[in-house]
Amino acid sequence: MDIFGQLFLNSLQISAAYILFSLGLTLIFGVMKVVNFAHGEFFGLVLLLIAIIVPWLNSPALPLALTYAAAGAVSILATMACGWFLYHFAFKKFQRDMVGSFVLSVGLSLLMQGLFLEFFGGVPVKLPDLIEGNLHILGGAITTQRLVLTLIALCVAVVMCWLIAATKLGKALRAVSEDHEAAMLQGIPYRRIALYGFLIATFLAAIAGALLAPVTVISANVGSDFLIKGFIAIVIGGLGSIPGSIIGSILIAVIESVGGYYFDPSLATLGMFVITMLVLLVRPKGIMGNG
Amino acid sequence: MTNLKKIYAALALAALATTSSVQAQETIKLGISAPMSGAAAVWGLGMEWAAKQAADKINLEGGLTVAGKKYKYEIVAYDNKYNAAEGTKVAQNLINREKIKYIVGGIGTAPIQALQSLSERSGTLIFISAWGKSVKGPQFPLTFTQSNTPFEILDPLYRYVLAQNPKAKTVAILNANDSSGKEVETVAQKAWAALGIKVLSSNWYERGTTQFQPIAAKLTEQKPDIIDLGVAPPADAGIMLKELGVLGWNGVKVLPVGTSATQLAQIGGAAANGTYMGYAGDYSSALSTPVQQILNQGMLAQYKEPLNPLQVSSYDSVYALKAAMEASNSLDPKKIAAVLPTLIFETSYGKTVFGGKATYDSPQQIQVPVMITQVQDGKMVELIRIVPEELKTRLAAGK
Repeated sequence: MDIFGQLFLNSLQISAAYILFSLGLTLIFGVMKVVNFAHGEFFGLVLLLIAIIVPWLNSPALPLALTYAAAGAVSILATMACGWFLYHFAFKKFQRDMVGSFVLSVGLSLLMQGLFLEFFGGVPVKLPDLIEGNLHILGGAITTQRLVLTLIALCVAVVMCWLIAATKLGKALRAVSEDHEAAMLQGIPYRRIALYGFLIATFLAAIAGALLAPVTVISANVGSDFLIKGFIAIVIGGLGSIPGSIIGSILIAVIESVGGYYFDPSLATLGMFVITMLVLLVRPKGIMGNG
Repeated sequence: MTNLKKIYAALALAALATTSSVQAQETIKLGISAPMSGAAAVWGLGMEWAAKQAADKINLEGGLTVAGKKYKYEIVAYDNKYNAAEGTKVAQNLINREKIKYIVGGIGTAPIQALQSLSERSGTLIFISAWGKSVKGPQFPLTFTQSNTPFEILDPLYRYVLAQNPKAKTVAILNANDSSGKEVETVAQKAWAALGIKVLSSNWYERGTTQFQPIAAKLTEQKPDIIDLGVAPPADAGIMLKELGVLGWNGVKVLPVGTSATQLAQIGGAAANGTYMGYAGDYSSALSTPVQQILNQGMLAQYKEPLNPLQVSSYDSVYALKAAMEASNSLDPKKIAAVLPTLIFETSYGKTVFGGKATYDSPQQIQVPVMITQVQDGKMVELIRIVPEELKTRLAAGK
């Protein structure tokens, strides 16, 4: 085993999940100025729904990949519907209200965790592997399915970056993020764009959950485990900044991977918080933050 | 008497009978503080379930009699999420809100320490399964440990593993970075060293970790003969073993706190095979008592997991408490705690006692067999069952 190759592969697979997760978080903050602590629950909801649907659909007559695809599609749609409902009846009323949205999202997070525990139970579940086998690349080892899912996740992130950078919707999202009043004066429908931003963020959390379903252990509070890392990533990268969230995600994945190898996972986690504090001391807006 | 009057009279008699029955059987609430969600959820959920089985059985048999009065038990369980912060909230809920004076199940050294800070002051008797040595002793007269801990398990487990793998010379240890992990790691380091095994590294991870690839890479690179996964719950241990398998490591795997093969094999797959466990038992085998066999079937039906020693400990707590309440003829936790170490009482294992004074300076440790098991082809196989010498002596003496 070439240790540098292995550390690269570890960083790659860890960062892919964090990028998808933190993109959604930063998008919501950018557009609505809402720090959404319930974001992890959208991610968790998809995983929990897939954990129910896959065993239910699984039969020798249906290929496993198709089972996962069907379960993923249904779960993502259900999560998007949940996101739409919460936006209309809760988040819409607390846009650009940092304190109100903080209380709201923390409350929603706790409520959803409680509901997940009630409906899905607390026992962790591991779904069957989608693709069997391991690959050896650059002297390191990785399971084939992790590599495939990582590449898909990176593709989704690239598409999302393109959408933000090059499409009319992306330009509207960026305009609203920079100055929503000026954007409205230019004829951009702020409320509609905010809804789109929220739904895109929910979709990103949902797709991250769907991609991780075959490789992660699923439990009622799986979302909160990822939420902390996602927040560290966007705080380091700069709240509201898309490139910042990607840089932050890669940075914490590298710290987790390299720190976990040379020291241990606990010290690596500590290292992330130290780096966060240093970044905030030197550049309080984060690496790419501008407002 | 008109028909209507007859009906009123019958209703009045029924109400009187119900009232008398309620008065005859006052309810004693018994608390549980254990993880009901997350990687260790199956331990807490199973513990609550087992305690309810004991309470239901006692209630069905007429309850218990203390000072001429009949009582029945009711189980109240809270999720401590395996951490001190939640453990503190659970302690407040159980002791201050529910006014519970007896806790029959507690998992996790950190949440149990949080519970203890309140229970000892408020005079609440607690039966726990926390692994830390620091949670019992003369300074905690109201605390009793209801299942084996590393001080009972590690030495016989490691000796057995080495006897089966005599070429093993080195070990790498991984533990959760909390009170349970810290206390077990100290004992494990000493136990391996005492058996002539070189400890290459001792590593820590946070509960809730989702990415185990980095630590798997580190451990694989050190090429240890043995990897000891310490207090990692089955879900975490399963992922870790899977990652070790991806990297091609296939040495001797030891999971002292391994409670069952089901989740370990489901998550770890083939990489979990061969893992030695010190905290599981085959409760479906002829080595187990009929009570344990019935409980095992119930657990399988309820949670698709076989019964483990951690879960069954709450069943035994309820029976230990009943025996001590009746023997002391009191509901005062202090009087009950005073009589507990002197009793021989019935549990799911059969007759047993509290002992362990030589280790803890106070007889607060239940004496039950150490069961060493191994995952073979995804199933748990019990390799050996070791009955503590202290239990043999006490039962032979009849006191």
